[in-house]
Amino acid sequence: MTLEFAYYPGCAAKQIQREADWAARAVCQELGIGLLAMPRASCCGAVSLRETKPAFALAVAARILSEAEAMGKDLVTICNTCLQTLTHANYRLSNEPELLEKINAVLAESGVRPYGGTIKVRHLLWVVTDLVDSRTLKAKITHPLKGLRVAAFLGCHSIRPEEIFNHASNTSEGPHLERLIQLMGGVPVDYVGKDRCCGFHVMLSDKHEVHTMAAKNCLSAKDAGAQVMITPCTLCDMIMGSVQPIAEKTVQRTINLPEMNFAQLLGLTMGISKERLGISRLHIDPVPVLSSIGLA
Amino acid sequence: MTSQTYTFRIQRNMPGQVGTVQSHWQEYKVEAEPNTTILTLLETIKGGQDGTLTFRQSCRSAICGSCAINIGGRTRLACKTHVGTVAKDGVVEISPQKNQPVLRDLAIDIRPFFARVHGIKPYLQEGPERAGKVTSTAYDQVNHVTQCIMCGCCYSECTMAEVNPKFIGPAALAKAFRFVSDPREGLKTERLQALANPNGIWSCTRCTLCVDVCPKEVAPMEAIVKLRTRGLNKGVNTSAGAKHALAFHEDIKQTGQLNEFTLMMRTLGIVGSLMETGMALHLAKKGKIPSPFPHSVTGVDELRRMYESLERSPIDVETKAKEAVPE
Repeated sequence: MTLEFAYYPGCAAKQIQREADWAARAVCQELGIGLLAMPRASCCGAVSLRETKPAFALAVAARILSEAEAMGKDLVTICNTCLQTLTHANYRLSNEPELLEKINAVLAESGVRPYGGTIKVRHLLWVVTDLVDSRTLKAKITHPLKGLRVAAFLGCHSIRPEEIFNHASNTSEGPHLERLIQLMGGVPVDYVGKDRCCGFHVMLSDKHEVHTMAAKNCLSAKDAGAQVMITPCTLCDMIMGSVQPIAEKTVQRTINLPEMNFAQLLGLTMGISKERLGISRLHIDPVPVLSSIGLA
Repeated sequence: MTSQTYTFRIQRNMPGQVGTVQSHWQEYKVEAEPNTTILTLLETIKGGQDGTLTFRQSCRSAICGSCAINIGGRTRLACKTHVGTVAKDGVVEISPQKNQPVLRDLAIDIRPFFARVHGIKPYLQEGPERAGKVTSTAYDQVNHVTQCIMCGCCYSECTMAEVNPKFIGPAALAKAFRFVSDPREGLKTERLQALANPNGIWSCTRCTLCVDVCPKEVAPMEAIVKLRTRGLNKGVNTSAGAKHALAFHEDIKQTGQLNEFTLMMRTLGIVGSLMETGMALHLAKKGKIPSPFPHSVTGVDELRRMYESLERSPIDVETKAKEAVPE
């Protein structure tokens, strides 16, 4: 079975968090997952467009989903907020026929192919853990984590609200991210805060609070013994990783918890070079920790 | 269904010096079937093992909101939660609500919570925006928030309340939405202006925890999202959060992509952005400077046409609450 998807990296992975996109592509190449470009796809509008222009937000999402549908592929993303935004729109468009008709009329009038409601929106993490055969995955993991203690920071927008994700993001075997850590040979660290908020969406309006939030969750993971933190989301990466050193100053505590995108750590365990995975772009250098297990 | 032994690991809290509580964990063993409620078992412990254990309860029917406590890492109603759904290896961990002052054991001081609810003026006001006629669908929006029983589950889990005790919080904001949406309310715009002040609607992180923990499907965050939309439609757009939100549709119309380079400037203005140069330099150290000129996506003219079409003939896409039926 060939796995091929319409690839929707999201704005952050195209700009500030480019390393997540590099890592996703490198990992997919190893696993034989095809990521097909979506040249027409716009920004999903994130949490904001639904507030300023709710109808336009649905139309924008429908146009993105329609492009994937025209390609005949399900959509895959590496940003939790894109995941939630597109899943939410898809949920409504698939469950409210009248709404789909109205939005499709706007699409048609604007020269866009109407959306038929047949596309699934998936996170690349779910593809790797649910659709790739675990033996295939394990065979590719040539540099296992050797019991490295890894904190999974799940990110709100891939797990809530339950209504739209319908448990797709959380199975009885535990969160996808923790299962991936186990598959990579690491030990998932249980800590208070793993399913809480990074604060990204109020980063500019409530700066101090976001720093406190980031520091609290990172410290909680660190106190529980985490040596490194991974997230499935480019926005969580920005706060828990890039903003962590600034948060340290705000709360006047040293944290120093290396943080990276799940695809970067997965790439390292597959023997992909640090350069290809953009490890040098991380604000908290993971090399000292990784070299202790021969990964860097 | 067969009964089994469960271990209740309960946080005991005793008032100490002024404003402090002394905490320790205490374990109790109870025999129960998986579908027994936590409240029943707390009563069993209090009645048969330890009369000093303090907790609130009243209706036993998920309608009074008294028994909201932290069970297995989530704030839930003890009367609505079956022990089998929350026990991990036969152990149930129980502590008081978070983000609230603890009085004793599992009882919290609910007054600060209600002070926030009272702060949004939970009553109809006379004023110029009062509707003369009330249509049969006028309450579609009000219904989902009137289910609220003020149990405090959402406030206990709120990720913003955790770091900012001044945040109005999900329950009070959902209540505010109820009054903004009521056709009989006379001061809708004035309410929206007050709610856009610091610690109000724009401080919600959109983490969606309140939606998932609410035992009555109130979906407070959805009410907050709608309050933001209502406010922007009334021209209440001067807060940083509002400006940030407004940047998105402009960018999507222009290039189809978010311009992360100018986003900060548009959210915070020139002075605010200068104060943030530390952040910009910090990102620059790692080469993380977004392009000031993002490429346009293919077919950006389609996006403009969609936008203009919806500006000309708007579509109401707001979710409507189900008809309120008494439980």
